Amino acid sequence: MRKEAGRRGMGLWVAALAVYAFLYLPLLIVVIYSFNDSRLNAEWVGFTWHWYDVLLHDEDMLAAAGNSLLIALTSSLMTTILGTMAGIAMHRYRLKALTFMVMTPVAMPEILLGVSLLLFFIQILNLTLGMVSIILAHITFSIGFVAIVVRTSLAGMDESIFEAARDCGASPWRTFRHITFPLILPSVVAGGLMAFTLSIDDFVITFFTAGVGVSTLPLRIYSMIKIAVTPEVNAVSTLLMLLTLALIVLASRIAPSVLRFKT
Amino acid sequence: MRDNRSRLSPAARLTKWLVSSPPFAFLLLFFVAPGIIMVFASFRYPGEFGGLAPIIAADPNTLHGFTLETYRFFFGDFIYTEIFAKSFLVALATTLICLIMAYPLALLIARSPKNRRDLMVLLVILPFASNFLIRIYAWMILLGPQAALSLLVNGLLGAFGVAPVRLLFSPFAVLVALVYVHLPFMVLPLYTNLEKHDPALLDAARDLGANAWQRFWRVTFPLSLPGIFSGSTLVFIPVLGMFAIPDILGGTGDMLIGNLIKEQFLGTRDWPFGSTLSIMLTITVLACVWFAARLGGRRRRHA
Amino acid sequence: MTRGLLLFLLLLAGNARADGVLHLYNWNNYIAEETIARFEAQCACRVVQDYYSDNEEMLAKLAAGASGYDIIVPTGNAMESLIRQRALRPLDKSMLPKLKNINPAYLDTAFDPGNQFSVPYAYTLTLIGYNVEKMRELGLPTDTWAVIFEPKYLEKVKGRITVLDSQRELIAAALKYLGYSANDTDEAHWKQARDLIIRAKPYWAAFNASSYIKELTVGDIWLVHGYSNDIFQANLDAQNAGRKFSIASSIPKQGAVLSLDSMVLHKTGPQPDLAHQFINFMLDGKNSAELTNLIGSGNPNLDAMRYIKPEIAQNQAIFPDPQHLANLEMLRDLDRNQRRILSRIWTEIKLR
Repeated sequence: MRKEAGRRGMGLWVAALAVYAFLYLPLLIVVIYSFNDSRLNAEWVGFTWHWYDVLLHDEDMLAAAGNSLLIALTSSLMTTILGTMAGIAMHRYRLKALTFMVMTPVAMPEILLGVSLLLFFIQILNLTLGMVSIILAHITFSIGFVAIVVRTSLAGMDESIFEAARDCGASPWRTFRHITFPLILPSVVAGGLMAFTLSIDDFVITFFTAGVGVSTLPLRIYSMIKIAVTPEVNAVSTLLMLLTLALIVLASRIAPSVLRFKT
Repeated sequence: MRDNRSRLSPAARLTKWLVSSPPFAFLLLFFVAPGIIMVFASFRYPGEFGGLAPIIAADPNTLHGFTLETYRFFFGDFIYTEIFAKSFLVALATTLICLIMAYPLALLIARSPKNRRDLMVLLVILPFASNFLIRIYAWMILLGPQAALSLLVNGLLGAFGVAPVRLLFSPFAVLVALVYVHLPFMVLPLYTNLEKHDPALLDAARDLGANAWQRFWRVTFPLSLPGIFSGSTLVFIPVLGMFAIPDILGGTGDMLIGNLIKEQFLGTRDWPFGSTLSIMLTITVLACVWFAARLGGRRRRHA
Repeated sequence: MTRGLLLFLLLLAGNARADGVLHLYNWNNYIAEETIARFEAQCACRVVQDYYSDNEEMLAKLAAGASGYDIIVPTGNAMESLIRQRALRPLDKSMLPKLKNINPAYLDTAFDPGNQFSVPYAYTLTLIGYNVEKMRELGLPTDTWAVIFEPKYLEKVKGRITVLDSQRELIAAALKYLGYSANDTDEAHWKQARDLIIRAKPYWAAFNASSYIKELTVGDIWLVHGYSNDIFQANLDAQNAGRKFSIASSIPKQGAVLSLDSMVLHKTGPQPDLAHQFINFMLDGKNSAELTNLIGSGNPNLDAMRYIKPEIAQNQAIFPDPQHLANLEMLRDLDRNQRRILSRIWTEIKLR
């Protein structure tokens, strides 16, 4: 009996390790080749920091990184505020229409949001595509993520605290300011970090709402992949991976529940 | 505190309004309105240089107003139905491969000691953290004609006298990348489901004389169906709208609906037809979600 | 983390402070870095480039509201469309004293009579590029589109050939091979071209916009339907990498597409003065010659000819003789119905 279980356990482990290898090997290769002293991502020639040097002197890339950062900071700030409100409203008032509007952009294929925003910006708002249109688009698709995190944390709370506060005569604002907000603060911050990551990583929606004057890091990477690949792409990828990794670790320290993806 | 709609005091009503109206207004403007605009756009003529032709024109001879033209164009030829069918099949294949790869891993995590589970889940999520394009780019390197994988495959094929194949820019490359990018979406819901299973059920099955295989197919698998459905939805829907992967890794025949929509907006300058295609895609997605929900719901009732 | 943020913000501030920035929307691989650096030094400004690899892509981006470009380098038909849209700013010729350097044959085209809006920049041909040694070894002809479209030739280069991922260019090549004009818009002829392409497609490795340069260099791809300057680049890279083969190009006898690219000022460009300075700079014989010497583009600048390397000046695929020139066509713009029909034909090509 035990032998059979052991054999099956082995089989599972082998399959699982193969999947982990499948997940990590490609990324490892990207990182390794960022140190390769050759223009081609083929054979290993020798170790070099050259591509990082190229990257640090690539003004277009730095400008794109600057844009990405500015967009991510602005949009994640706005998203955090709107998303927190949406999360509270969804939890407390069970607004069906709001829940629908918050959740659908999360579930839809991104391209649909991208092209409909493109149409809207050009045809209705007559907005010149650029920083503003990208920021608005990023807020739209990330509100849902913050709202879900906030609502989940509210749902896990003991309602009696709020009732006690109300019974003691606290106004809704005071209840929020002194009780609700400190309690949900970790999820708000984690949601904000999530919005930041989503924004800095987004390609599809940015692709449609960026026009061409303002480039972001993912757009830049895309055009390099399409037009002229050099290991500079590997170098920027490696740095971007480190940044996102740092953000995820930070988010998980602040609110461990974020990583548990209870859907 | 919650759920007393009818008896809200004026102050509470004000709070409700203050909290819910900003996100409501924002999403109404930037999510609902663009959707409605897209529906209208699909009934219009394309502008001569791109964009849309005017609704009302000063010169009555220029194209203006509304038309069913794009829908006639869509249904007038099988080619567009065909590309939807093809995208559907590609999404289905991706979902199935993801399921086959994700299941053992999710099962292993769910059956591991509690203190190890978080780390194992984290290891699934981490590659997620790298940019989507970087994950595609990684396969560009791995499948490149000079890369070890291609040399190995073609070496083996050569030994059997088979002509060398090209891994990059092929349907194979597209499928591998689609699976790679979406795999975590399948593992996580599956794990969340499997983790909740009561081990006592398996013990009971064993006591009744079921072998490992039977225990899996009769107990574990049916119970995990809700997890399979939610994971499949999370993989299937994004794949339906994908354009970047065929764009970067595809060969001469790899075109999905996403690529066609992208082309209408950023190539052919035919926004009305692009809108029509987007609406058709939306309908397809909604139909799939509805179908999955129905199927999942019925399963749950029977289980 | 915070330090990184601050560093980025400082970088941003640094960018914002640069007073003159010229925004250039150009083809990829269409200006030498050396040339840009020299202009930047001369004008004490910064040149920011965005790239496109297809005219349709550029027009679509502009139709989708892209703005803020001082200079764009469209091909004739795209330029004509931009002029008709009133998207361009007329040139102030008093600021372009070196305009006299341009060969009159390239001025006053049907796309922009009187050159109110445009100054010729360079031209490229869409032709056949090939690995000289491989083609010789396989005994394949290189002076006809048949080698791209006929299965009897394609069998020998299966999986070693790429064609341009451009609806207009690929259909034009097929139309030329079938004996029609590259500008033929007869749907029946388009369908013939479609069938020709679908028959040849199984032999092709990919539709490709620009990475064929690298693949020719490495030796993975032996035959391409591509732009003359890209093929020139591939040969240059192959020689620099010490490869044992060379890459050459040839104009098929059925004729090919010539794309005359011109510098134009976009209406939304914030720096028209700087843009005129740039145009005049590029009209200089020496700077213009650099374009040809380093990029391998055809050159409409008469003054440039004396600076161009003789081996390039004699290259038929860069400076075609009158007999070949007569066979070359410039593409005209399509109207909305034609665009829609061509898009469907393209979808059929990709799907079948």
